[in-house]
Amino acid sequence: MTRSERNWLLVAPAAAWFVVMLVLPLSVIFVFSFGERGPAGGYVPAFTLEQYANLPARFTAFKNTMILAPVGTIAAMLIAYPLAYQLAVRTDPKWKTILLVLVIVPFWTSILIRSYAWIFILGGRGLPALLEMVGIEGVRLIYTPFAVLIGIIYGYLPLMVFPIYVSLDRLDKRLLEASADLGAKPLRTFLTVTLPLSIPGVATGCMLVFILLMGEFLIPALLGGGKVFFVGNALVDLFLQSRNWAFGSAVAFTLIVIMLVTVTVYMRVIARLQSGRDDVSIM
Amino acid sequence: MRIYAVCVYLFLYTPIAIIALFSFNAGRHASQLQGFSVQWYARAFKNPFVMDALETSLFVAFVSATLASILGTLAAVGLQNIRGPARAVFDGVIYIAIMIPGIVIGIATLIALVTVFDVLNPLLASLWFEGGQPPRLSMGIGSLIAAHTMFTMALVIVIVRARLAGMEKVLTEASADLYATPLGTFRQVTLPLIAPAILAGFLLSFTFSFDDFIIAFFVAGSETTLPIYVFSSIRRGVTPEINAIGTMVMVASLLLLIIAQLILRRRPRS
Amino acid sequence: MKDNGYISKRKFMEELSRYRKGSVSRRHFLGVTGLGTATLVLGTAVPGLRPRPARADSHIGDRVVLATWPNYHDTANFDMFTDATGAFVQVNVFGSNEEMLAKLQAGGSGWDVFVPTNYTITTYVSEDLIEPLDVSKLQSYDAKAFEPRFSDAGTVDGTLYAVPKNWGTTGFAVNTAHDGGKALTSWKDFFDRTTDDFSGRTMVHDYQLTTIGNALKYFGYSFNSVNEAELAEAERLLIEVKPHLFAISSDYQPAMRSGDAWLTMCWTGDGKQLNSDIPEIEYVLGREGGEIWSDYYAIPKGAPHREAAYALINHMLDPQVNAREVQAHGYPVADANTNALLPEEILNDPILYPAQELLDALEFGAAATLTDPNRAELLARFKSA
Repeated sequence: MTRSERNWLLVAPAAAWFVVMLVLPLSVIFVFSFGERGPAGGYVPAFTLEQYANLPARFTAFKNTMILAPVGTIAAMLIAYPLAYQLAVRTDPKWKTILLVLVIVPFWTSILIRSYAWIFILGGRGLPALLEMVGIEGVRLIYTPFAVLIGIIYGYLPLMVFPIYVSLDRLDKRLLEASADLGAKPLRTFLTVTLPLSIPGVATGCMLVFILLMGEFLIPALLGGGKVFFVGNALVDLFLQSRNWAFGSAVAFTLIVIMLVTVTVYMRVIARLQSGRDDVSIM
Repeated sequence: MRIYAVCVYLFLYTPIAIIALFSFNAGRHASQLQGFSVQWYARAFKNPFVMDALETSLFVAFVSATLASILGTLAAVGLQNIRGPARAVFDGVIYIAIMIPGIVIGIATLIALVTVFDVLNPLLASLWFEGGQPPRLSMGIGSLIAAHTMFTMALVIVIVRARLAGMEKVLTEASADLYATPLGTFRQVTLPLIAPAILAGFLLSFTFSFDDFIIAFFVAGSETTLPIYVFSSIRRGVTPEINAIGTMVMVASLLLLIIAQLILRRRPRS
Repeated sequence: MKDNGYISKRKFMEELSRYRKGSVSRRHFLGVTGLGTATLVLGTAVPGLRPRPARADSHIGDRVVLATWPNYHDTANFDMFTDATGAFVQVNVFGSNEEMLAKLQAGGSGWDVFVPTNYTITTYVSEDLIEPLDVSKLQSYDAKAFEPRFSDAGTVDGTLYAVPKNWGTTGFAVNTAHDGGKALTSWKDFFDRTTDDFSGRTMVHDYQLTTIGNALKYFGYSFNSVNEAELAEAERLLIEVKPHLFAISSDYQPAMRSGDAWLTMCWTGDGKQLNSDIPEIEYVLGREGGEIWSDYYAIPKGAPHREAAYALINHMLDPQVNAREVQAHGYPVADANTNALLPEEILNDPILYPAQELLDALEFGAAATLTDPNRAELLARFKSA
């Protein structure tokens, strides 16, 4: 057996798996997206561009996703960064591990159950009732885009804290001391030393969260009351309510294309920003 | 700064605290506390559907994480020395596997397999020997494991490859110079070095599979995993039983983590 | 309930008659009535009274999976079934017939019993998703006792596919504490007031049949209309109302109870349950009309525990059990045997049995309405708008 044959043999099982479980399903979706809905739902073969022509009917779903996914990502990043900074730079090493683990522990309870707790907190008997006690009346939180945003931040915060923490933790503390010794103010040190060095972590975290948000379905379904619609919700609806497999396939395929384009552009931009550094680790 | 951190932890833990608090509720409703009781824990343990769902979830997570770790590691090692267009295609597939939302994987897998089974089942029946009961392919634990393995394998490949890339090529070359067989080199040199990455990949895969709702929702057929059970219970109006399950899963994972930590810490001393 | 130690005379007779008919096991009967302890003491002396070791019905397996609607059962009846047969009941709750159909069409649902509504059954038959029923396995089903208009949709082309569960209406529930003294009586009120003093407090169902159907009634069109121009008007109304909705969901009880929502499309039993607990919440049928429906028990093709499925349906149709169901969920039944066991105040309840002129305006959903692609797509557009 030659060397190259051996290499291929190692790769073959994984390759076969990807062909059956990824390439085949995506091809089926691609083919179905040119078909038609069956009389009682499902799919009948055809060749028509009708499904793609009908995409504007889901414009709002795409719009909501394209707005709330980046907004949620940035909000999560803004909340996660100071915490990661505090943990990596300002915390006694004795406590670091335990505090970091505490960030991830909530992640181990099903997102379903956690979201349900939020329905209770944001519902009329939760936070709004507390606000009423201090005189702020008529606040409605549950089933609003705000509730979905809270759910998103809550659900994905750990994914953001982790990579940022790792990049800040790797940072050589002597650099900070040197900067301070040279008379730089803390803010200046942060802007010129800490922030640039933590960019790879921020980039990784943002991409992870963004990818997951683009396909999000549960959080808007549970906290959005059926009114805050993501592409994921539109897809579930098309397959589980209106049973329109052809149109569902077209929507799914469009989502994939949008994601691939966005993420590729994003990675190019980050790579350019980081050019010259060897510590880029996006995936 | 410190106050800020405290606030974030409060944000993270208030829902968890509420879940745990209501799991001890004596009443039926998940929104009114009516005294203390552990009856919901007892009920969850006695409920065969909860225990079955837990068993299914653990089985699927274990099998798919094991498959993903083995096949993913082999592929990562093999890919090291593959160049050219084939490599580019494979990288592209991994990239797509990680990028595609779970919901699309779930739906696409469902309609693809249902369509394929519709063709294969009559074919199998016609080819089957006289008088025998031909096997019927359908969605179930097999399709669920296959889908989870596909996704988590991509994760393992990425993680292990990163570790391999950081490895000194000199080591394997030296080993080869010393006339070690390729398998020997792999076992003695490569494997120990990438073991932490494989372990990390396994744990990540296990967690992903155990917690996944959306892919399972579409491809699990009649199988019920724990997240699917929780989802259908939530729609029925949550009883504190669900809170009890959530609390137990979290405490169990915490214990596992602490035990793992203790074992890892003890090793260097002994 | 077993360790109560006390059991009323009426309850005892009830349990005895159920035991005689075989709908509960001996073990259950003895346990409930407190005779168990006595038997145990006697049993040591009198060999003939020693409890049989095996349960009579254990051949049906240890589980049965039921797909049904929210707030639609008395869980005590499932517990009794489990006590009697050893089979646990897993309840999967769905929000719409469309969702049930989609799950069955995709295959491998794993259900043993499901609860389709009248207008869906012909579709299940033509899609080959539903099992013909063997009446000999349903001893408690007394076909002649059922009112035909609520039971005939179960028979398609002379074959029995489904037996009636409950019937009911689709109206709306309104929290009258917030209506400012002006009562809502029609679908016109429902939608107009949603954009006015009920803004942000209204819920509509998360499926096309009733949400679109009731919007059609606003204009006086048929609940089942598939006319494109009429549907377009309904769509305009729904999209105009959408910013004023609290939520689009078929599980409206929690929000109505917590006071987050004040007005919702609502089925009979939910209206009854809400009204019993919170009297300000009233159940109203739109003056223009709306839906009258009948739900059935049926067995899907390929049910994994078919014997248990029959046993469960048989158990649920037992008039004693059924009467307890009605008292728990507040949906009327079309079964004279069950009604004979129900107290007068339930049989005269205007929520369960609305005035004739209101009933006359109602329509049964049609199969064509369920499968109409335009209506399906309309609701999806409304939700993603």
